[in-house]
Amino acid sequence: MPVISDIRLNLKKNDILRREGFRGYTRIRPEIKNIVLELLESADSAHLLEPTTAYEIYPVTGMDPDKVLLEGDAVVSGSLIPSTFPEAKELAAIVCTIGPGLEKQVTEYSQGGETLRAMLLDGIGSAAVDTLVIEVCHCIANEASSRGLQAGSPVNPGMPGLTITEQGNLLGLARAGDIGVNLTSSGIMVPRKSTSLILALGPKMETWTQADVCARCNLRDTCPYTVLHS
Amino acid sequence: MAKDLCKTLADLKEDEVLAIVQEKLNAGADPMGILADASRAMEIVGNRFSKSEYFIPDLVYSGEILKKINELVKPKLTEEVGTKKGGKVIIGTVAGDIHDIGKDIVVFMLDVNGFDVIDLGVDVPAQKFVDKIKETSAPVVGLSGFLTLAYDSMKQTIEAIKAAGLRDNTKVMIGGGQMSDEIKKYTGADAFGKDAMVGVSLAREWTGTK
Repeated sequence: MPVISDIRLNLKKNDILRREGFRGYTRIRPEIKNIVLELLESADSAHLLEPTTAYEIYPVTGMDPDKVLLEGDAVVSGSLIPSTFPEAKELAAIVCTIGPGLEKQVTEYSQGGETLRAMLLDGIGSAAVDTLVIEVCHCIANEASSRGLQAGSPVNPGMPGLTITEQGNLLGLARAGDIGVNLTSSGIMVPRKSTSLILALGPKMETWTQADVCARCNLRDTCPYTVLHS
Repeated sequence: MAKDLCKTLADLKEDEVLAIVQEKLNAGADPMGILADASRAMEIVGNRFSKSEYFIPDLVYSGEILKKINELVKPKLTEEVGTKKGGKVIIGTVAGDIHDIGKDIVVFMLDVNGFDVIDLGVDVPAQKFVDKIKETSAPVVGLSGFLTLAYDSMKQTIEAIKAAGLRDNTKVMIGGGQMSDEIKKYTGADAFGKDAMVGVSLAREWTGTK
């Protein structure tokens, strides 16, 4: 099972600000910008970001309209992958996390009445997870490319055709417990700054831009983090 | 002459705001007048937020400035007046959900807008909400939940409030991730808030606070 933990994240300013609820990016006031920069520095110096991923690549052995059959009697239920990636030869089950450090600090800020710092640091954490996913997908796509396969766009539990209840199955397939990512009894991932995804690999896979992903999402009109209105 | 407190606070000029407040207090100004100016400024901030001229961090920043104003003014207020005038609001993230940042922002904005907020934390069982309503007679309850999984928990909590005979005197708002009229109906809530300012507006409306 591949586990990668020495991933260097190059966080982009616009991604951070978007995750902090800003739109337009130009109107950030200097007082807030200074806090963001200070928090970024402290996240680095206090090692609040521990980007880690666990993933496993499974050969596809069969596909029905509502499920994908994988080697080792594993199954991914839902119509999303069969309908979007019918030519997939392999599926990569992936879990990414930045660890528990940042969210502990967010809670400390919140409990100490420093709500602004808490929310800005939380946004940095979300942007870090986004960036980590991009890095990990690139890494897996590069490896697949050497075997003549393309990677499709990542899909997550919760998207139409891949229910959130598949998350437990996905964490098992990626062996997420080995990097300290688990589900609560109600199905929430801990550490919270974690995400699970599937990458379909095959000869010709569909890919989307972030704007495409946002346009497909049920939250497209109200989401404060969408790229559509940036 | 002191600059306009209302305008300066609405423009989020923290240092200038605090200097103006201190200057006014030193000159013997009525602390309630200062709070009234601040309250008008927060309305402007809310309007700018609703027009997307300000964003969530700006909103929270305005709250932090207001908190500092309250700290400066508080010693000058009589005990009876105080800075809390908005009534009690119980708030918590429903059972099964552990997300807290959105809830914490709402708690903060309610608090700086004068509400007496009772924050029950995260993963709060329905019975705990019921017990706290009985104990405090709070007229407003806020249920927070980020994932779709929280909707059932919100519904169960509202049903528990109803079963305890407390629903008629308790207004319930829900907030978190994806909220809509459909989810409001499903859970049995009175209203949903898409952001912290809507939460404050609802609490004001339901408690008759200006």
